Amino acid sequence: MAEYCVETTELTKNYGKLVAVDHVSFKVRNGEIFGFLGPNGAGKTTTIKMLTTLLKPASGSALVLGFDVASEGARIRPRIGVVQQPLSYEMAVNVEENLNLYGFLWGVPKKERVERIELLLDKFGLKDVRKTKPQELSMGQQRRVQVAREFMHDCELMFLDEPTIGLDPQARRVTLDFVREKVENGTTVFFTTHIMEEAEYICDRIAIINKGQILALDTIDTVKRKFGGLSVIHLRVDNSKELINLKLEKLRGVERIVYPQPEDEFLKVYVKNANQVLSQIIDIVTSSGLHVEELEVKEPSLDDVFIQLTNSKEVGPNE
Amino acid sequence: MNSFVRLLYRDLKAGIWSTKSMIAMQLVSPLLYIFVAGFAYSSFISSTTIGGRTVSYVLFLAPGIIVMQIMFAASIAGAMLWIDKRLAMFTQILMGPFSRWQYILSKVVSIMLQGMLNAFLAFLIASPLLAGLSVSPLGLIYIIGSLVLGSLFFGSLTLAISVYVKSNESFNAILNVMLSPLMFLSSVFYNLQNTQIPLVIRDLSLANPLTYATDMLRAGLLKDYTPYLFLEIAVLAIESLSVFVISTIAFRRVKA
Repeated sequence: MAEYCVETTELTKNYGKLVAVDHVSFKVRNGEIFGFLGPNGAGKTTTIKMLTTLLKPASGSALVLGFDVASEGARIRPRIGVVQQPLSYEMAVNVEENLNLYGFLWGVPKKERVERIELLLDKFGLKDVRKTKPQELSMGQQRRVQVAREFMHDCELMFLDEPTIGLDPQARRVTLDFVREKVENGTTVFFTTHIMEEAEYICDRIAIINKGQILALDTIDTVKRKFGGLSVIHLRVDNSKELINLKLEKLRGVERIVYPQPEDEFLKVYVKNANQVLSQIIDIVTSSGLHVEELEVKEPSLDDVFIQLTNSKEVGPNE
Repeated sequence: MNSFVRLLYRDLKAGIWSTKSMIAMQLVSPLLYIFVAGFAYSSFISSTTIGGRTVSYVLFLAPGIIVMQIMFAASIAGAMLWIDKRLAMFTQILMGPFSRWQYILSKVVSIMLQGMLNAFLAFLIASPLLAGLSVSPLGLIYIIGSLVLGSLFFGSLTLAISVYVKSNESFNAILNVMLSPLMFLSSVFYNLQNTQIPLVIRDLSLANPLTYATDMLRAGLLKDYTPYLFLEIAVLAIESLSVFVISTIAFRRVKA
């Protein structure tokens, strides 16, 4: 089995003069949850449409499960699953029949369909509305039907295009946990969202895309470190006036220090990597006879990174 | 099971079966055409001569009304594509283990099946009139051929229209505007062999596939074997296949 489930090279798609996806290159490893993050209109859905063989790339190439999306779509589609961003369901049949019919479309045997329907209705909280037609449900319930439906069949790679839109926090958590469960059983997930909290909860690696270009690509911690600015160590001791004598600003890795003020009794140490400096600071403070009363490390959030990157006009690494 | 068969089952289950109330409503029209209009017109058109035989006007009318059911059924079933697009099922299916070709074929075949189901129900409605008729094996071939080719033509036509038209409202408006001329410029209501029919109406009717499907069904039921029957069958077959090819080509261009 190849190491990568998805490999794109200079993948590009334009609609007339508008370049929706602009020379994008990335790789998704087997068995990981790869977050594809970006604001609305960044090119996430267009990328998914190309990877699911719905759209042909204008230039560049993409391999999905080892097959070319432009010429080998028929070999890719039976092995993937897709939850699209727009709501999608069969209007004429009830929730249970929606799941059953979708499983039938994918050739799932009847016995297996029956078992999966019960499991999914239970997991996604749809048991009470199993005999109701989707158009009579709330948007959140319709979305749950749509997401649950995709788990009626097995797939090696699942594309989830903002699958939690319209879901309440509980349903969102259930969905994300179920996705994670699937990944533990061997499915790879390509997950798009603009909700950073979700990405932090579920993704192994992320790419941040804006205006069709990838601005950052790595694990969440590394992206935060690379693009998130400085971490801040907040420290309160019993005798804060003594801190100034410790010369903490001379420590390697310390960028800036703000000493306690009458209105704010915390020492703030700005560092690139808190893990490298924290133990040294504690050692120096305690060996000087001071007693640490409170300590907190504030890492830059993914939200900060996302906003900073997507607001910036400069384009970062396109790995 | 074959992907096409699974798609066809889905169309029948989720598409056509959902319009069962519409199908039931559609069956009111053959009842009215045959048993109200047919008998009312019979009071001043008592009989007509076809294939050297004299038949009552109601009996003349019944095959045309049966074929017309195919046209009505196809018009409703053509809306299936709209529903699929609106609920993103079109793209969902194309991202699954299916091809566009299988998708369109399933649509055309399901529309044909619906058309034939409606025609069969119209047959049942007209059965009191048709009871005394004997149908030969050749006649049966004409009857089935008429229903298959008529369904193929109207199914493909409505599908092609649904590809090009931008909204469901426009689709319905176009069908409403189109169906009436098709009905009245055909041999459904009049015997085109009658020399009193204005030449313009006769010429326009001869361009209408409904005329040929109706004549073919009449040939099967009433043994109306005109010298032009084979030509009519050939024209209907060419028209139906042409529209099917056009709709298939058009469908390939539908944006996902």
